[in-house]
Amino acid sequence: MMRVPTSERVLAYVILIVMAILVIAPVLAGSITAFKPQIIWVSSPPTWIFEPTLENFEFVFFTRKGWVYLRNSLIISVGSVAIALLLGVPAAYAFARFRFRSSKALMQWLISLRMIPPIVVGLPFYAMFLYLERGLGIGLRDTFPGLIITYQTFLLPLVIWMMRGYFAELPAAMEESAMVEGYTRLGALWRVVLPVVWPGIVATAILNFIFAWNEFFLALILAGNRTSTLPMTAGTYIVRTRVEWGNLFAVNLIIMVPVILLTIALRRQLVKGLTFGILE
Amino acid sequence: MSKSYRSDNSNRSFSTRLYQLTQRQRHWFFIAPALIILLLVVIYPIIFSTGVSLFRVTFASQSRPFVGLQNFERMLGNDDFIQSALNTLYYVVFSVSGSFLLGFAVALLIRRVTAGKELLRLILIIPITMAPIVVGLMWNWMLDPLFGLVNWFLGLLGIPGQTMLAQASTARLTVVLVDIWQWYPLVFLIIEAGMATLPRAPFESARLEGVSSWMIFRRLTLPMLRPVILVALLLRTVDAFRTFDIVRVMTDGGPHLTTETLSLYLYRTAFTFSKLSRAAAGSILMLLFIGLISALMFRYLYRDVEVG
Amino acid sequence: MKVVLQDLVKRFANSDRAAVNKINLVIEEGELAVLLGPSGCGKTTTLRMIAGLEQPDSGRITIAERDITDLAPKDRRVAMVFQNFSMYPTMNVYDNIAFPLHAVKMKRGEIDRTVREVAALVNIDHLLGRSVRQVSGGEAQRVALARAMVRRPEVFLMDEPLSNLDAKLRVQLRTEIKRLHQDTGTTFIFVTHDQEEAMTLGDKIIVMNNGDIQQVGSPHEVFFAPKNAFVANFVGTPSMNMLPGAVSGDNGGGYRLQLPGFELSLPARFHDGLARMAGKGVIWGIRPEAIRLVAEAGENTVSGEVELVEALGSRDLIFVRAAEQLFGVIVDAQESVAVGAPCHLHFAGGQMHLFDAESERSLLNDCG
Repeated sequence: MMRVPTSERVLAYVILIVMAILVIAPVLAGSITAFKPQIIWVSSPPTWIFEPTLENFEFVFFTRKGWVYLRNSLIISVGSVAIALLLGVPAAYAFARFRFRSSKALMQWLISLRMIPPIVVGLPFYAMFLYLERGLGIGLRDTFPGLIITYQTFLLPLVIWMMRGYFAELPAAMEESAMVEGYTRLGALWRVVLPVVWPGIVATAILNFIFAWNEFFLALILAGNRTSTLPMTAGTYIVRTRVEWGNLFAVNLIIMVPVILLTIALRRQLVKGLTFGILE
Repeated sequence: MSKSYRSDNSNRSFSTRLYQLTQRQRHWFFIAPALIILLLVVIYPIIFSTGVSLFRVTFASQSRPFVGLQNFERMLGNDDFIQSALNTLYYVVFSVSGSFLLGFAVALLIRRVTAGKELLRLILIIPITMAPIVVGLMWNWMLDPLFGLVNWFLGLLGIPGQTMLAQASTARLTVVLVDIWQWYPLVFLIIEAGMATLPRAPFESARLEGVSSWMIFRRLTLPMLRPVILVALLLRTVDAFRTFDIVRVMTDGGPHLTTETLSLYLYRTAFTFSKLSRAAAGSILMLLFIGLISALMFRYLYRDVEVG
Repeated sequence: MKVVLQDLVKRFANSDRAAVNKINLVIEEGELAVLLGPSGCGKTTTLRMIAGLEQPDSGRITIAERDITDLAPKDRRVAMVFQNFSMYPTMNVYDNIAFPLHAVKMKRGEIDRTVREVAALVNIDHLLGRSVRQVSGGEAQRVALARAMVRRPEVFLMDEPLSNLDAKLRVQLRTEIKRLHQDTGTTFIFVTHDQEEAMTLGDKIIVMNNGDIQQVGSPHEVFFAPKNAFVANFVGTPSMNMLPGAVSGDNGGGYRLQLPGFELSLPARFHDGLARMAGKGVIWGIRPEAIRLVAEAGENTVSGEVELVEALGSRDLIFVRAAEQLFGVIVDAQESVAVGAPCHLHFAGGQMHLFDAESERSLLNDCG
C-alpha cells in the first residue's frame, strides 16, 4: 500500500470531515424537524432542545392518508422491479452467453436509452394513454399497470446491463456441464446458475427499487389520485402561504430511510448500477 | 464447398431443420420479451411524439391539422425556449464541472484515510441516495430567508440574511450548488472504483524511479483513468441535461425564468398551456441535442474502452 | 462406443473461416483419442459438437451407430469435463456427484450407493461433505471426473481438464485418467494443446490445425512419421529443425539436397517420393534428438560452434550455429559441450524428413 505522510493524511481527514458535515448536517437538521411539535417548526433561531413527538408522522400517515401513498409507492416500485427482472434477466443471460450477429449493437442501443430525458417519453405516454382511454376505453392513466409499464423505460435497460455483468462472470461451462449431465438449458439455469447468481439479482433488484422509489417526473405526469406516490405527495405540503415543515420532513424521512438502509446493504455493488455497467 | 453441405441439408426431416433453427435462433427466445417491451415503451413513444409534433394537437380540440415543421420553427423562435435551453446549458456546464471536481477531489482524498474510511464513505454518498425532490425540499428549508439554517449560520458570522432563491442573480447558482451537493457522490464512486482497478506496477516503478507525486498524477493516474473520467462526465451530462425535480420544488423556474430548464419548460408547455404538439417538437429537439452530445462523448469513449 | 464424425462443418457468425472444416473421423470403441492442436484449431469446437453444446452447420455425428446430431446434450449419453469449471459452487462434493443422477430420477438409496462407489474410484470418498471452498483445485477436478462417470456415459469428453492445474498435479491426474480409461474400457475423447500430454495419454492422436485434421495416428506415428510439415513442427519439444532446400539428381541415380550453406545426400528411401519433385522446393527437417555430435567432418555433416546450452536434466539442449543456421541438438548431459566450442553435426539419413514446400506434405508418409 501507498505510504502517506502524516501531514497529508491529517489534511485529508480535515477536508473530508468538513465535507461529511456539510452532507450530514442538513439531512439531520431537517430530519429532526419531523419530530418537532408544530409551534417550533419555524422558530428562529432554531430550537435544538425539545420533546420529540410523533404527531407529525401520525398526521401525515393517517390524516393525510400517507399510508395510502406508501402503499402506492411500494406497489409501483416492487411491481415495476419484478417485471423488469422477469423480462431483463433472461435477456441479460442471452447477451452474456450467446454469440449472435446483433448482440453488440443491441447492447450499445441499450446504453443509449440511458441518455433519453424522461420528458421525451413522458409526454407521448400521457397523450397515448389519453387516446387509449378515449378511443378504446382502455384506462392506463392513473393506474398501477400504466406506471409499471412506463417505469420499464429506465429500469429494464439497467437490469439487463447489470445482470449481463453478473452472468458474464460465471463460466459458461457451469450450465453446459449440467446440460451434458441430463438437464435442459432451462433446467440448468434454474438449478445451477440461478443459485449462484442470486446475490447479483438481489443487488440489481435493490438498486432498481431505489430508482423506482425515488422517481418523481413520470409519476407527476402519469399518476393521479388513485396512484400518487410518496415523492409526489411531498410537494403537497408546500401550501401557497406556508409550508408544513414538520409534516414535510416526516414524509421526507419515510422516503429516505428505506433507501439509506438499502444503500448500506448494497454499497459494494452501487457503482456497477450507477454507471450502468459501462465500466467493466 | 457451401453448395455441397447445403445439398445434404435438403434431405433432412422437417423436425431436424426446425430443431436446428431453434438452436441457432435461441437467443431470441430470451431477448424478445424485453426487446418488445422496450420498443413499446421507448421507441414507439418517440415515434408517436415525432408524429404529434407534425400536427397541431391540443387536449381540448378534436381537430388535428397537419402543420409540418411549424411547431419546430415556433419552438426555435420562442424566447422562453431558447432561454430555458441556455439555462440548461448553464446547469450542464457548472453542475457537471462542479460535481466532477468535488467528486474527484473526494476520491483522491479518501485514499489517504485509514480509520473510519467506511463510515466516511457511507456518509459522503448519502446525497445520491436521496430522491431529488427530497433534496430540493430540504434545501428550501435550509435556505429559508426567515428561519433557514444557512441564514442563521451567516447571521452568526455577521453576514445579513439573503434571499438566494428569490433573487434572479443568485437563484441559478444556488440551484446548481444544490445539484452539485446531490450528485458529486456519483463522480466520487465512479472515480474511486476506477482507481481501484488501476494496475499497481506502473505506480510502484514510477515511485522507485523518483518521479514526483504531481507528475505521477498527471502522467499516469489521469491518462489511465481517462475512460473512467469520460464515463463519469457522460453520465453527469445526461443527468444535468434533464434536470427537473430539484428546480421544480425549489424555484419552479423562477424568478423570471432564470432557473427554467428545458424539461420544466416543456412540461409547462404541455400540461399548463396544453400545447402538446409544440412541447413534442421541443422534446424531439432536446433528444437530438443530447443525442449529439452523448454520441460525441461516446465516440471519444469508444476509442479506448471496450464497451459491452 | 464407436464415435463417427462425418463431413462435420461449423462456422461462427463472426468469422469467415470455418472453425471446423468438413472433417471425417472414426474413433473406435474403447479408444482414448486425443484431439491435439494449437488454440483456434477447431479441436474444442469438435468436442463441443459431439457433446451437443454447438450445432454443426452440416455433417453427422453417430455414437454406436446412433445418429445424435440433432439430439439435445442431455440425451446423448456422453459426459464432459471442462477446463475452467469443476464444481457447482452451491453444492457440496456429495451433491455435485449426485446431481446428474437426480436428472434421471434415480431412487435415493441407489444414488447414495452410486455416489460413494464413484467417489472411491477417484479417491475423494473422504471429501464428500466438503464445500467448494474446502477442496483444492486438483480435488475439484476429481469431483468433475466423478460427476462425469456417475451416469456411466458411452463416451467421455474432456476439454483440457488439466490445463488449469499446476505441473505436478497435472502429471498425477493424467496418470489417473489413463487408469480410469483402462478400468472402464469406455471411449475417451481428450482435447489438449499440450503435445506431451497427448503423447502420454493417447491411443490415437488426431492433430488438427485451422479446422482441418492434419493427421490421425498413434503417438509414435505422429512423432516419427508426420504426414506434413505442420505435424512435424507441432509435435515434439524442442521442435524439429526445419530448413528450405532444393533437390537435384546426382550421377549415380541418387539425389542430393541443397540447403542454405550446405549440402546433403539423401538416402534411398526418399527416391520414390523425389521422382515427382524434380525442380520443386522442399522442406527438410530433422529432430534435435536425431542429430549427433561427431569428432570429424564427413559425409552429411556440417561444422559450427555451440552458441547456447539449456539444461533439461539428464540431457542438454544445445544450439549450434552452423552454415549460418541455428540447430537445436539434444545431447547427453555427460557428453555436453561448452558454449563457443567448435563441433560437427551429423545428420543420419534414416531420421530425416522431407516435405513438399508447396503442399507441405511429407514425401515419405503421405504419398497417397
